[in-house]
Amino acid sequence: MSEGHAVELRDVVKRFGNVSAVNHVSLQIRNGEFFSLLGPSGCGKTTSLRLIAGFEIPTSGQILISDEVQGHLPAYQRPVNTVFQNYALFPHMSVFQNIAFGLEMQKTPKSEIELRVNEVLDLVHLQGMGKRRPKQLSGGQQQRVALARALVNRPNVLLLDEPLGALDLKLRKAMQIELKALQEQVGITFIYVTHDQEEALTMSDRIAVMSQGHLLQIGNPEEIYEQPTSRFVADFIGETNFIEGTVEGQNEHVEFGIAPNSIMLATWGSDPVPAKSKVTLSIRPEKIDLYTPGKPLPRGSRKIANMPGKVVDLVYLGTDTRYVVQVPGPNKLVVRMQNATSSEHFFKVGDEVTLRWNPAHARVMKE
Amino acid sequence: MHKVFAKYPSMRPWLLLLPASLWLFIFFIAPLFIVLIYSFQTRGTYGGVVWQFSIENFQRTFDPLYFNTFLRSFYIAAITTFACLLLGFPLAYYITTRPPQSRGTFVLALMIPFWTNFLIRTYAWLTLLRTNTGLINTTLISLGILKHPLPLFGNDFAIVLGLVYGWLPDMVLPVYAALDRLDNSLLEAAQDLYASGWRVFWRVIWPLSLPGVIAGSMLVFIPSLGAFVTPAILGGGKSLMIGNIISNQFLAAHDWPFGSAMSTVMMVVMLLATLIYFRSTSRKERVQA
Repeated sequence: MSEGHAVELRDVVKRFGNVSAVNHVSLQIRNGEFFSLLGPSGCGKTTSLRLIAGFEIPTSGQILISDEVQGHLPAYQRPVNTVFQNYALFPHMSVFQNIAFGLEMQKTPKSEIELRVNEVLDLVHLQGMGKRRPKQLSGGQQQRVALARALVNRPNVLLLDEPLGALDLKLRKAMQIELKALQEQVGITFIYVTHDQEEALTMSDRIAVMSQGHLLQIGNPEEIYEQPTSRFVADFIGETNFIEGTVEGQNEHVEFGIAPNSIMLATWGSDPVPAKSKVTLSIRPEKIDLYTPGKPLPRGSRKIANMPGKVVDLVYLGTDTRYVVQVPGPNKLVVRMQNATSSEHFFKVGDEVTLRWNPAHARVMKE
Repeated sequence: MHKVFAKYPSMRPWLLLLPASLWLFIFFIAPLFIVLIYSFQTRGTYGGVVWQFSIENFQRTFDPLYFNTFLRSFYIAAITTFACLLLGFPLAYYITTRPPQSRGTFVLALMIPFWTNFLIRTYAWLTLLRTNTGLINTTLISLGILKHPLPLFGNDFAIVLGLVYGWLPDMVLPVYAALDRLDNSLLEAAQDLYASGWRVFWRVIWPLSLPGVIAGSMLVFIPSLGAFVTPAILGGGKSLMIGNIISNQFLAAHDWPFGSAMSTVMMVVMLLATLIYFRSTSRKERVQA
């Protein structure tokens, strides 16, 4: 594969009337990457995919596929293929004819078509199904046909628009693993649109989180989860606690104040803002530890932030327990503690506790 | 009635069907059989029907004098159907590409002319097309565009024009219904798979709109084949179709048995055409089910 990028968006804008569906989005997708566009419905992820496919033309900005500017090239001249959300299989053609369609349009010799269609039917585990009509197949099988119909063309880039959305949960989980394995096997760049954050975290090499037409953050699943740079990303991916407060100072860590005389240590999530600015602190429930007050701090814990609190609710979840803890100010924090063997980690409703966390996990964001 | 229903619940559907069945029997089935029986009788010396079995009427139907008119009617009906398809398909397609809220307006605009009596609309064409006094020729001549009037009237052209005008909506509506059901993502999928505009049309749009096209073609072909008002008025008495000859047997020649025989042949042909239509559509639906 070449050194360049599979797909590049340069300051792409797409407006429908007065609505900006995609707002100055720039991103680069590497060759062979499993790249997800993640966001709630209406965030511009599907429009971005349609812009790459050529179903829409950007209002401004440029789209490059394999380092070539696409401009106004129509969809049928772009080296990409799409797996549609509703599969869009041709109802009047057999499975074989559906899969062969793209090759036929490219004037591939008949003998090669036969060979490649059968090869790809094997790849998606649909051997012997070539003669069936799409309507005679189950949802999961139709999904595989849609995938095969795109893959048989050996595109540089495969675009997938929520391809698992119509499947039931169990099948969806199985297909997630299968899709990821398939992508590694064929080595084609996948651009995967989804609103399911868990799906994106499971499958992707990198994720781009979008909201209201803006690209908020790009990173690998770990970065997106552990180091969100905005309140939206922190909230959309997984569960988190938000605490409103002000910046009180900055040394090695940000000094974050939620109430008079209550300073917590944290790390910048977004770009730093001056002291006394109003900010939000985000911390994941599993990053907080609960201790009995007055107990000595664990070893090497100087950089650990402390906060007093009181357990107001708890739910036992088997592997862990979910506590709701009242802390100074109006805030209630959710804390998830693993149910380890030692009983000192169990608390009851009404217990006074000390909350502690590593400042690196508490991220301060402007706004 | 209530008591009957209560007493014999299994009779209920039959009783509910009774009025419609009676109506159909008296005004449709029975006349059809009368026509069928008449077609095997003989014409009386002063008209009327003489009860004497004969197949001579059918033999006369295939006499070149009449049979050629049969063939010509087929030819005109086929051209009409083809012209309706050529005009109607793009129109139907155009309507489906409009925003949903304005599609109803287009369909309404298509229907409005048909609130006027068919005879009056056909006479309106007469005033437009007539060779020497028609609006089109007199306008073109007075503007100096033409020296001699165009032969717009009293020929097959005028008949086809009148029939296309009359039956165009019957083509547009079923085709529109078929195209409207077409999922737009199928067209995008075809484009995505390297099909250019024309190939998207021939490989996806056309085959999937075929049930509508066949339905529309039947709805245009069958009434065109039996047309008699349009050829009577726009054919100028010279250009005739089989419908005119049949109506002449009943109204002018008083040869009811011969008219009945020709009607019977027409019905058999149309029945066959309809059967072919139903077989081809039910196969299409099996494919899509």
